[in-house]
Amino acid sequence: MDKKSAVVETGTATERARSVEEMLRAPAAAPLAPLPLEVLIPEAKQQTPAVRQRVTRPDGRLHGLGQTKYIDDFYMPGMLYAKVKRAGIASARIISIDTKEAEAMPGVVAVLTGRDVPCNSFGPSLKDQPVLADTRVFYSGDGVAAVAAVTEQIATEALEKIKVEYEPLTPVLDPLLSLQLETPGVHAPNPNVYWHKVIKKGDVERGFAESYRVFEGTFRTQMVEHVPLEPHSSLATWDANGRVTIYSTLGRITLGRADLSRTLGIPMSRIRVIATVVGGNFGGKNEITTEPIVALLAKKTGRPVKCTFTRPEEFTSSTTRHPLIMEYKTGVSKQGKLLARQIRLVLDGGAYCSWSETTLGKACILSAGPYEIENLHAEAFVVYTNKTMTGAMRGFGAPQVCFAYESHMDDIAKALGIDPLEIRLLNTLKEGSLSPTSQVLHSVVVADTLKQAAERFGWNGNGSKS
Amino acid sequence: MTKVTLTVNGEARSASVPPEMTLLRLLREEFSLTGSKLGCDVGDCGACTVLVDGKAVNSCLMLAGQADGRDVVTIEGLATMERLHPIQKAFEDKGSLQCGFCGPGVIMSAKALLDENPDPSEEEIRDALAGNLCRCTGYAKMIEAIQAAARLEDARPAAKSA
Repeated sequence: MDKKSAVVETGTATERARSVEEMLRAPAAAPLAPLPLEVLIPEAKQQTPAVRQRVTRPDGRLHGLGQTKYIDDFYMPGMLYAKVKRAGIASARIISIDTKEAEAMPGVVAVLTGRDVPCNSFGPSLKDQPVLADTRVFYSGDGVAAVAAVTEQIATEALEKIKVEYEPLTPVLDPLLSLQLETPGVHAPNPNVYWHKVIKKGDVERGFAESYRVFEGTFRTQMVEHVPLEPHSSLATWDANGRVTIYSTLGRITLGRADLSRTLGIPMSRIRVIATVVGGNFGGKNEITTEPIVALLAKKTGRPVKCTFTRPEEFTSSTTRHPLIMEYKTGVSKQGKLLARQIRLVLDGGAYCSWSETTLGKACILSAGPYEIENLHAEAFVVYTNKTMTGAMRGFGAPQVCFAYESHMDDIAKALGIDPLEIRLLNTLKEGSLSPTSQVLHSVVVADTLKQAAERFGWNGNGSKS
Repeated sequence: MTKVTLTVNGEARSASVPPEMTLLRLLREEFSLTGSKLGCDVGDCGACTVLVDGKAVNSCLMLAGQADGRDVVTIEGLATMERLHPIQKAFEDKGSLQCGFCGPGVIMSAKALLDENPDPSEEEIRDALAGNLCRCTGYAKMIEAIQAAARLEDARPAAKSA
């Protein structure tokens, strides 16, 4: 792709000066290869035993040389750049979208709206998310139109020329309000509670009745964005046989192919998804985002189209970690033994389902903590709100409940005057313990881990180092 | 259009660019040097760090025109056909990079530090990396690698030339 001009040896002085000038203008390609420096073949004997061997990553050298190609490093001849217009309003009815002025701009090749999408809904479980909002806006990060232009700057400018008329609706922003039956449905006529799970073990009422004291606490966590250093990006190109190739930062390409087949309305066999090196995922790149948009724009224009999220879009229009409201009630004996625990979790699902089902399940199963509790009742709800959608993020709900049950445990220890370490050792799961879902647990080393950790950082009972 | 002439990795380069083009886009789009990454475009993440006249700079915050007549070194300018730069070697040996997206920026910040201070303390290394974000949270191994590279550079001062 280099346009290196040949050196002109003869000609007038002016011609020679021009050729030197052109050489200076020639793109400086990355040095082709300081490779191979040495062939990296691990010797069999060095590989075993693996324990205590330092592992070097096979891609580490390319990363360090700056030679790893992420999607934004790709260029295809004739490629266009796409940008998505975001709604900027939490809940609204779309009255009209006027794209005429944007289409007339020099350098703009095509504009796409929700009406151009063959099937405008997708999602990893519930198909509740539009590719581009066409009649309703469910959260401010919703895309309402997309532009393909010869430069990113022209595409960005064209977004401002797209006029969208909204009829604002009252947004549902509080998950506890969303839980109430009289609250208007975010996705009416569907109810706001879109997943629910209960885990029951023993008899909590009897457990509380037998308890020396009963403690209650409510814990909340906030929404967290993955912030991968590499923003979401995708690039689509069609061939004359009607096959589309999509380069994407997607972590789950098989699922992505199914969603693409649905939204584009073509068989999966016509879709090739190439997962490029991902510059950080953390759960945030588990579902398609702009892939159908670039595919449809590429089809409309007959040219390859790339779309890379801006950093603000990364915050407003990708998934986030579920904020949780966690209500804990725990009955304990005088010695600090946990006798009964009742938990209610409310997950703020945001505008779309995404991976809420998985997150809700895992949060609910793990909500009791690594403790033996004979009488348990855990209940979890996930609700729609007109906020940034929540989805998969490292731990799928586990870190949120961990914050709640460990904070609760500290409160109990303090009130009973017991060392926080001692109360945990007293209650921890042991070899053969039953999990909240009555699974028999093996290789349980919670107590050993706690003891070792306490010893290593010099735990002396009051939280400070000895 | 603005005409920019600068030295990139030891070679004279020239380009005619729109006045609003950043140094980062000049390197990536005009010169095909895609090792410097666009992470945030507002100077927060440091994935675009390059050396301008020996100083670590967020190339997304510098206009291409401001780099006129300057000496720019990018990640592509560190290794030679024969060998990796000691910092790159140390990063590889210590497994310091995970997804790798922040790597070129981190390595350039480390180079700026070691060029000025061949034997930095851990705190000085942390200070030098303050403008480079890593979301894979791999800072510990990066610091280890930079310390190892400092020792290597001491042993082989010739390696300092970029």
